[in-house]
Amino acid sequence: MRKKQCVAMLLAGGQGSRLGILTKKVAKPAVPYGGKYRIIDFPLSNCTNSGIDVVGVLTQYRPLELNAYIGSGSPWDLDLANGGVFVLPPYQTGKTGEWYKGTANAIYQNIPFIEQWDPEYVLVLSGDHIYKMDYNAMLRAHIQNGADLTIAVREVPWEEAPRFGILNTDEHNQIVEFEEKPAHPKSNKASMGVYIFTWSKMRKYLELDQADPTSENDFGKNIIPTMLKDGEKLFTYTFDGYWKDVGTIESLWEANMDLLTLPMPIDLYDKRWRIYARNPGMPPHYVDEGAKVIDSLITEGCEVKGVVNHSVLFAGVTVETGAEITDTVIMPGAVIERGAVVRRAIVAENAHICAGAIVGEETGKIAVVGPKATIAPGDKVAAGVQIDADAQ
Amino acid sequence: MKDVMGLIYTGENDIHLGELTSQRAVAALPIAGRYRVIDFQLSSMVHTGIKNVGIITQKNYSSLMDHIGSGREWDLHGKQGLTILPPFLTRDNMGVYSGLLDALKSNLTFLRLSRQEYIVLTNSHTVYNVDYSDALRAHVESGADITVLYTRGGKGLGTEGKDDTYLTVAEDGTITGMEIGSAVPSSDCASLKIYITKRELLRQLVEQSAANGMHHFGRDLLQRNINNGSLKICGYEYKGLACQIDSIQSYFNFNMSLLDAGVRRQLFPKERPVYTKVRDDLPARYIGESQCTNSLVANGCVIEGTVINSVLFRGVKVAKGAVVKNSIIMQDAQIQEGAEIDHCILDKQSVIRRNGRLIAPAAYPIVIAKNVVI
Repeated sequence: MRKKQCVAMLLAGGQGSRLGILTKKVAKPAVPYGGKYRIIDFPLSNCTNSGIDVVGVLTQYRPLELNAYIGSGSPWDLDLANGGVFVLPPYQTGKTGEWYKGTANAIYQNIPFIEQWDPEYVLVLSGDHIYKMDYNAMLRAHIQNGADLTIAVREVPWEEAPRFGILNTDEHNQIVEFEEKPAHPKSNKASMGVYIFTWSKMRKYLELDQADPTSENDFGKNIIPTMLKDGEKLFTYTFDGYWKDVGTIESLWEANMDLLTLPMPIDLYDKRWRIYARNPGMPPHYVDEGAKVIDSLITEGCEVKGVVNHSVLFAGVTVETGAEITDTVIMPGAVIERGAVVRRAIVAENAHICAGAIVGEETGKIAVVGPKATIAPGDKVAAGVQIDADAQ
Repeated sequence: MKDVMGLIYTGENDIHLGELTSQRAVAALPIAGRYRVIDFQLSSMVHTGIKNVGIITQKNYSSLMDHIGSGREWDLHGKQGLTILPPFLTRDNMGVYSGLLDALKSNLTFLRLSRQEYIVLTNSHTVYNVDYSDALRAHVESGADITVLYTRGGKGLGTEGKDDTYLTVAEDGTITGMEIGSAVPSSDCASLKIYITKRELLRQLVEQSAANGMHHFGRDLLQRNINNGSLKICGYEYKGLACQIDSIQSYFNFNMSLLDAGVRRQLFPKERPVYTKVRDDLPARYIGESQCTNSLVANGCVIEGTVINSVLFRGVKVAKGAVVKNSIIMQDAQIQEGAEIDHCILDKQSVIRRNGRLIAPAAYPIVIAKNVVI
């Protein structure tokens, strides 16, 4: 294998339990977003567009759907003879072998994978966010600063800073202190969980961390504080584009609704920075006589006969005559029968809402109909309720 | 169906398609909102399990090659996969084919080097979604030398009948007569110009015919052999939908027919998706008081105006106050504010400027050529 300057490691092993029923059977990065994407399309497309063509995807929780989705990597141009996307599950070695215990341990277990490429730098990503970012610009800053570790940060509103990992820096963006969820923040630079390490240093600290039985093997809790204590050169890199955490039902819903505002806060029409996705290969969507579509995103393969208002419809969704969809996200293959009313909801893949059912309410928390769940004719699902197909 | 190869001839006469094919082969003509005509033939072959497909190109094949690429979208990028066979110039080959037979003669090497026993040979202007397995089975069981697929009762939606071929098919399936371009055909069995035969037999027939100075596959090879009875040529009735795209009117009618749910179900069954080149567009976006009824809309469209009874390809923009009726709008075309069009076919990237009006009669849709600004 030929040498690479930088390889990316994407941490995709977490369950994302705050997404409730949506991640009961799939890993968070495989959760659908924006009518045709899955969350992982964003970091993968960012890698391709940044010229980073080796991506290791560390999977652990419910990997089937994610593995199938990534496949050979061809939708992201990551099916290469020298490079590409690699799914890296935990594995057995001799008599031992263990699950990924923490973010740092997951990378530690894949040191042999990284070494194959003999890289100078390693980019660490997560599969939790919707954003378009040029990692190469961050890498240039890392090299210019002669840094050992660069952490991408976002300047958050001060009142929100206590919810984040906050980095305090000097005037040259060198990090002097890291505080996890500080009650009285001294800075509003919040970590995005995007790191670039100089590989030699990273390897050293991963090994040190592994040798420490008290460590939780976590970048935020262990690796970064240790490197700071040892006086290594840590810098921040400020990213000021659209960045949305989609780790909760409410934030996933909001991120979808963001695409319906004018102008779109994240420009997905930008031909120089396409977000790629696997394509289901369906014909254009059909809008019937008598249908009404207002302020919505509709994907190929849909059949719309009812009213769709301020909503996002994924591929192959059917909305029958007289159904009314408002402020809702409907994932692939779901069917909304005639006369059903759906408001402020997420309807997951292949769910079925029967005639006259009422899902969600005009205000309050988002209602969720889980994958393959059925709502019986005339039934009601209140705001904030999650319907699980297995419990039916 | 490991033992079958496919061959698509894209050099057919397309004079009645006018402006639509002045810069491209009919195989590369955009159709059905996000496809090119050849997607249907290629996908049908792939769904039959065919892994070795040749495409004989003739005129202006760059847009076709750009579309097909390595064949990845059709899973034809494997060890055998897809072979594009462009025309070439040698001492005994002029590079200009006077018909299918001529084209086959120029590509005998491809036939010779392929390994499969059977071949499905098709044109590139008929749209259908078929698994050839049943026809192949019938071909083997009947012991025919050549099987010709046909439809009955004028099912070929929108066909112009200009150089249609009609077959007289006996009870046992044997073809006993063949009429080409007849004004009053004596049968309602219209040939789909899809042929199934043994690869080795086809090679021999092409070599023989070429040696005898023949050019026309239908007239010189099929008709002659039907008339003198030296080959067993059978018909296989295809009962599904098959539409010839051979004129502006048939192109228009075919696209409009897709507004019917029954037609869509036949052409896009869930178990046999039609593959095409992916464009990575966003889903279509409806803004404000847009109105859209009885229309097909592809990804990447932005609709702020009114769209009625129309087919919109990927990336089309319909601005506020614009009205699009009974029209077919290809990729990235724009209808600007206040403009109004009716019964138009807008080719790729064409623009109808602010307040422009183009109203054509139903019987004669207007074609606006690629990149034209009005």
